[in-house]
Amino acid sequence: MTSSKTIVLRSSDGATFEVDEAVALHSLMIKHRIETGGADSTTIDVPEVTGNTLSKVIEYCKKHVEAPNSDDLKSFDTDFVKVDQAVLCHLAKASYYMNIKGLLDLSSKTIADMFKGKTVEQIRETFHIKNDFTPEEEEELRKENSWNLFV
Amino acid sequence: MIDEMKVEIGITGFGSKLDDDLKSDCWANMPPELLTDILMRIEASESDWPDRKSVVCCAAVCRSWRKNMKEIVKCPEVSGCLTFPSSLKQPGSVGSLTQCFIKRNRNTQTYTLYLNLTEASNDEGKFLFAAKRFRRTTCTDYIISLNADDISKGSSGYVGKLRSNFLGTKFRVYDARPTNAALLATKCHSSRLGSIKRVSPKIPAGNYPISNISYEVNNPGTRGPRQMRCVMNAIPANAIEPRVGPTPTDFHVDSSSSSSSSSSSRSLSGSKSAHVSDAQLGALVLKNKNPRWHQQLQCWCLNFNGRVTVASVKNFQLVACLEDENGSKEHEKIVLEFGKIGKDVFTMDYQYPISAFEAFAICLSSFDTKITCE
Repeated sequence: MTSSKTIVLRSSDGATFEVDEAVALHSLMIKHRIETGGADSTTIDVPEVTGNTLSKVIEYCKKHVEAPNSDDLKSFDTDFVKVDQAVLCHLAKASYYMNIKGLLDLSSKTIADMFKGKTVEQIRETFHIKNDFTPEEEEELRKENSWNLFV
Repeated sequence: MIDEMKVEIGITGFGSKLDDDLKSDCWANMPPELLTDILMRIEASESDWPDRKSVVCCAAVCRSWRKNMKEIVKCPEVSGCLTFPSSLKQPGSVGSLTQCFIKRNRNTQTYTLYLNLTEASNDEGKFLFAAKRFRRTTCTDYIISLNADDISKGSSGYVGKLRSNFLGTKFRVYDARPTNAALLATKCHSSRLGSIKRVSPKIPAGNYPISNISYEVNNPGTRGPRQMRCVMNAIPANAIEPRVGPTPTDFHVDSSSSSSSSSSSRSLSGSKSAHVSDAQLGALVLKNKNPRWHQQLQCWCLNFNGRVTVASVKNFQLVACLEDENGSKEHEKIVLEFGKIGKDVFTMDYQYPISAFEAFAICLSSFDTKITCE
C-alpha cells in the first residue's frame, strides 16, 4: 500500500482537516500555495472559510477527485446543494476563495435559480439583504417595480 | 486506501449566535466578482419575458445589486432584449424587428402597447406603455405613461406625449425625460447618460420635442394612401448606416435647440465620431414605403410577410429617406411597420435606430390623422 502525501487544511476557526494531496489540489488556490510555499507547506491556512464549510468543501473535492467518472456524480452534485441557503452562500464563497471551479459553478447556478421568480421583498427577506436606497430612489424603484410586474 | 480525517476543534465557536451572524452577513458580504457571476447567470438565462422580470427585481434589491445588474444588462440594440423601462427609450435591436402589438379600447380612448411573448394570437404580451387620447379645443393630446392605471400628465409614470394640430395633419412627439446627452450635460453636469448609471436622473420633467410627423394626401392626380413623413430630431441621419459597436453615449442630436422647423441644421453635441462633419448631418427622416397597386386584387399592397392580416388605411411601413443634393433616396430597411390584425388589435414592429417610445408615438398618430386614401 503506497502512502500518498497528505495536506492539513486549517479553517478560520482553527479546525484542521487532513486530506490527500490529490484532493487538496482540486482547489487551485491550495495548489498554488503548495507550489510556491516550499517543502514545509504541509499545513495550509484557509482563513476565509469556517470549519463547517471547509468540511463540506473537502467532501465535494474527495468525490470529484476519487470518482470523477462515476455515474452518480450528477446526483451527488444535485443532492450536495440541497442545503440551507446560508450554507449554500458559504459554499459559494468558499469555492470562490479556494478557486474550485466545479463547486463555484454548481453553487452559483443553484443560488441564481433561487433568486428567479422571487419579488424584491422576498429576495431581501430570504437572503437578509438590507435595503439601502434613499427615499427618492425608492420612489423611482416603485415605478419601475409596478411596470415590471404589471399584467 | 482509507483516508483519515482528523477534526480538531480549536475553539468552541459553533454556537447558534455565531451561525445567525454568519447567516445575516453572508449575503451582504459576498465578494463582488461572485455576486456578478450569480447575477450574470440570472440575466443570461432569463432573456425573455415574462421571466425577465427577475432581472429587474434583482436590480431593485439594494445598491450593489443594482449597480452590478445595470452593468451586466446590455442595451436593446446590442442584446435585442427589453429590460428596464429605460430600454423603451433606447434604440431598438440592430438587424431584427422587435415585435409588439397595440390594443385599442374605444370606450376609454386608450391604447396599450405590449411586447410579443409568443407568436400565438392569444399572446398576453408584456406591458410596455399605455396612452390615452385627450381631445382639446385646438389640438389632440395622447398622453403616454408607464402606468396603465394612471395615464395623465401628473402621473409618476408619465413619459411623454403626442400632440396633433387641429386638422390632424401634423404631430409632434414630446419626451418628458429624454436620454439626450446634451440635455443631461446641461442639467446634470454629467457626461454619461444618467438613466444608465443612476436610479433617478435629476432632469426636470418637461416636454422636450423629439420628432415631428406629418401626413399629406398624395399629389393631386396620383392615387394611393397618404404620405407620412417623420423627422426624428433626436436621431442623426447617418444612424441608418451600419456602424461598428453600440451607440456612443453622446450620439444623439441636440434637440433642445430645435424649434418648429424640421429642416433647421443640427449639431452633434460632444460627438466623438470625427469622421462626420456636423454641417452635413440632418435629422433622420422616415417616410412610408409606397405600396404597389395589385391589378388582380384591385387594391394597394404592402408586403408585410404575413405579419399584418387586415387591410387598413392605417397600415404602413416606414423606411429611412436620405435626402441630399442629388435628391432623396429610400433606404431598404423597414424601421417601423404597423398594421391591423383584429378589430382593435394592431402589430407594431420596430428596430434600430428608433426606440419603442418613438415607434409607439408614430403609430398613435396613425390612429388620429384624418388624412385618408385617395
